[in-house]
Amino acid sequence: MSASPPQEAAGGATGTVGTPADFLKGVIGKRVVVRLTSGVDYQGLLSCLDGYMNIALEQTEEYVDGVVVNKYGDAFIRGNNVLYISAMESI
Amino acid sequence: MADLSAQVQEPFDLVRLSLSERVFVKLKGERSLVGVLHAYDGHMNMIMSDVEETILMVEPEEEANGVVQSVKRNLEMLFVRGDSVILVSPGSR
Amino acid sequence: MLIFSVFKTLTDQVVTVELKNDLCITGTLKSVDQFLNIRLDKISVVDPERHPHMMAVKNCFIRGSVVRYVQIPATAVDTQLLEDATRREHASTHKR
Repeated sequence: MSASPPQEAAGGATGTVGTPADFLKGVIGKRVVVRLTSGVDYQGLLSCLDGYMNIALEQTEEYVDGVVVNKYGDAFIRGNNVLYISAMESI
Repeated sequence: MADLSAQVQEPFDLVRLSLSERVFVKLKGERSLVGVLHAYDGHMNMIMSDVEETILMVEPEEEANGVVQSVKRNLEMLFVRGDSVILVSPGSR
Repeated sequence: MLIFSVFKTLTDQVVTVELKNDLCITGTLKSVDQFLNIRLDKISVVDPERHPHMMAVKNCFIRGSVVRYVQIPATAVDTQLLEDATRREHASTHKR
């Protein structure tokens, strides 16, 4: 009864092994979409992030209602605004 | 800019590299700033100079066609509280 | 801590505090604490027609969390000093 749930087996089957922290480690250097709580999306190359979910993005495109409204070479996003980070390529 | 990723190990490095440079700041409430960054802290509180603020406003009268109007003003030295900050981008845009 | 130190050097300067509800109050900065709560003296409201109730008030305490901006006299700050202090604080808080 004290055995932990078979996470690895379940994850292994779907190819999504690991914890949220593993995801965050794996997603560095990949193309991502960052959605803010406001609904605005930022698509770009994730250079790094920290424990507050502050994020540094490169080649960033800002999407409002699915259309690009701005481009930034680099962008720092304050973590409190982040709803999720989604990987656009396999990690 | 080519080797920027090598210098940026954590998000705040990006901001540090913008000290004494012009930055673009997106704030809550449809506000944005362009100005020279002189100081910041871990909350993203900032002190900037030579700032142009742009406020986007939707015209209250004709709400149907949602006309957007921008109001600008200039501020010579400004403290910005970090909790209003959404995004900071080096090089004004 | 850095920004707190900066505000301490600004005591007795005239500043304009803009609140998140758009109220702008100009006054003499009397004191500040670590939360960036602010005490202002000899205050006036920038747009008194929108906020007539503030006319009678001579001084006030502003909770730090309701502040959006503080407009500072440019002559009151040494920008080079600020940048050096920011780099030092960055180096100490982001260990490497």
